[in-house]
Amino acid sequence: MLIWFLPVFLIFLIIGLPVIFGLLAAPGILLWMSGQEKDITLLYRNVYNGMDSFPLMAIPFFMLAGELMNKGGITTRLVEFSQALMGHLRGGLAHVNILSSMLFAGLSGSAVADTSALGSMLIPAMEKQGYTRRFAAAVTAASSVIGPIIPPSGIMIIYAYVMGESVAALFLAGIVPGILVGVGLILVVRLMADRYDLPKAERIVRKGQPVSTREYWVSFALLRLNLGWLFFAIFRGATGIGNSDTSALIPLVTYGVGVLTAHVLLMGLRNKVHPDFRTVSKRAVVPLQTPILILGGILLGVFTPTEAAAVAVLYAVIVAFFVLKTMTLSDLPKVLSRAALTSSVVLLLVGAAMAFKTVVSLSYAPQILAEFILSLSENPLILLFLINILLFVVGMFLDAGPAIIILGPILGPIFVEMGVHPVHFAIIMSVNLTVGLATPPMGLVLFVASSVAQEKVETIAKAILPFLAVEILVIFLITYVPAISMTIPRLTGFVN
Amino acid sequence: MGVLHGLLWPFQKWNDLVLPVGRWISIAAIALMVLAILVQVFFRYVLNAALPWPDEAARFMMLWLTGLMAPIAFRQGGFVAIDMVVQALPLKIGQIMSLGLLFISAGVLATAVEIGWSEVTGFGGRFNTASLYVPLAIDFSEWLRVPRSWMMASLFVGVVLLLIVNIELILRSIISLLGHGGDLKPLTPEDEVMAE
Repeated sequence: MLIWFLPVFLIFLIIGLPVIFGLLAAPGILLWMSGQEKDITLLYRNVYNGMDSFPLMAIPFFMLAGELMNKGGITTRLVEFSQALMGHLRGGLAHVNILSSMLFAGLSGSAVADTSALGSMLIPAMEKQGYTRRFAAAVTAASSVIGPIIPPSGIMIIYAYVMGESVAALFLAGIVPGILVGVGLILVVRLMADRYDLPKAERIVRKGQPVSTREYWVSFALLRLNLGWLFFAIFRGATGIGNSDTSALIPLVTYGVGVLTAHVLLMGLRNKVHPDFRTVSKRAVVPLQTPILILGGILLGVFTPTEAAAVAVLYAVIVAFFVLKTMTLSDLPKVLSRAALTSSVVLLLVGAAMAFKTVVSLSYAPQILAEFILSLSENPLILLFLINILLFVVGMFLDAGPAIIILGPILGPIFVEMGVHPVHFAIIMSVNLTVGLATPPMGLVLFVASSVAQEKVETIAKAILPFLAVEILVIFLITYVPAISMTIPRLTGFVN
Repeated sequence: MGVLHGLLWPFQKWNDLVLPVGRWISIAAIALMVLAILVQVFFRYVLNAALPWPDEAARFMMLWLTGLMAPIAFRQGGFVAIDMVVQALPLKIGQIMSLGLLFISAGVLATAVEIGWSEVTGFGGRFNTASLYVPLAIDFSEWLRVPRSWMMASLFVGVVLLLIVNIELILRSIISLLGHGGDLKPLTPEDEVMAE
């Protein structure tokens, strides 16, 4: 009897009941009809217990850090930096759009925030250079989906929590797939650039920009400290000198030598690049420190993802208020309010999902569905193909977060049982459903791109097709080559 | 129509006045959450002496933030739903369907309010939190261990506020269905929800 909650839930969803209420109404009604009223109380308790979680706190924190960074004016810096790197290529601004999305993804875990922030800046700029508005909007929407794939990622935090996986492992597993989507999109633009004679852009838009003394020295120090650490890590990995079992002085001295080497190297490069290029790069150092801080902290085992998110907020506050001085105290309530509003919806949804998950287990739905799926084929490769199609279709109608919450507990155990690594399956689901954010008819980033560009959704949906084709290709690559997602977590010891 | 507007008025007024208070509390809560975790990071990693209270205090604030902000999001239409079918239907039928959906959500919320109250006042609420204390005297000489019910009340208050918003939305929906939607004050979103 209880298994009927799934079709009832689907009906509720299709007729337009908000997902949160559907997740509770469908099992609630079935429990009531089967005389298990007492278990309805269990549903309520699970909503509460589902929200009462320390790892979930990373969601409001990452949202807040992203909001602070965005309000603090980092978008312009990232776009200018991307333009300095790729603007001179044919189809320059389209490349810039994609690269900016990849960089932005390291600061924010939201595709919608990415579309909104980058679109409002780049779509008009691209139009001015002769690109059609629909193409500009399509590139923006297609590249925005990288946001929740490259860490930090709200969707992966939710998946990890609902499915009991490690957030850090999922974050690390998302890096290469995210870069792969970006590279794929860049290749499409490259091909289109030749075919449609897309224009080149200036590498430097604002020449002779000043950098404040404070920002100059902060960037100066950060760059050398990061590069120095990289040299130190490579040296330590290669020679074993400076490991923790040796005296405390040796790592310190080795790191010092690394910093010095970095300084000498950078000073050597100084005169080889144009001063404006140097300025633009310098202005990008402070924002780009955020992903280094988050991933570095998690990788080194210094922070949990939640703590890393709180540290990212602190860093964003320091940057916006004291280094760049682009925010004032009066901006703060609005930023906090936006982060709190979005978080509340996500947290309540996760709570409802945890209650839903209990009924999923009680109803034996995964077992029944597993039998059905295995009756289609016993070959995991064919089943993964079919599941990708199912996820893609679901993603066309439902946003990634709710889709993951609903389908994760049902599909995850089936594929893990068949030998697919849980982290690998998490990445397949996350990337597939995230791409769904840019697919018609119900693609959240398409809607945002449409509102930013003032262009019809249908028109953007047509222009986005070549980009979607590449994203689908990447989804299948990720599915059939587990090493793409699993290598970094394995190398870093987050996955066995 | 006057009767419907009369019925709507107290709910609208309540939501106009109370929800912004919740918003300000949530603004403070999210800021304090960050602060609590940063204090913990400092004590754990710098002083090597983790404190017992920051994690629980931050969760306390996160739960209240959710309870107080979710009604605002619901009122602004920020709850994720597939509205394709409603939009594809002829206007009147779509409006009737939306009203039906609001009645379903009201049913869910009313049940949640009933269970929520028994949970807060019941057995689980009688325990205390593990590490949270509030001072009872100005000179901090007397402390009260925070009962778990204070934490559990967050979801109860949340569903009560959501139900009040839901009733307002039902009344607005009926007024629109009767062809007087133009008289209604628009519920303009102040913030966009950017969860994805």
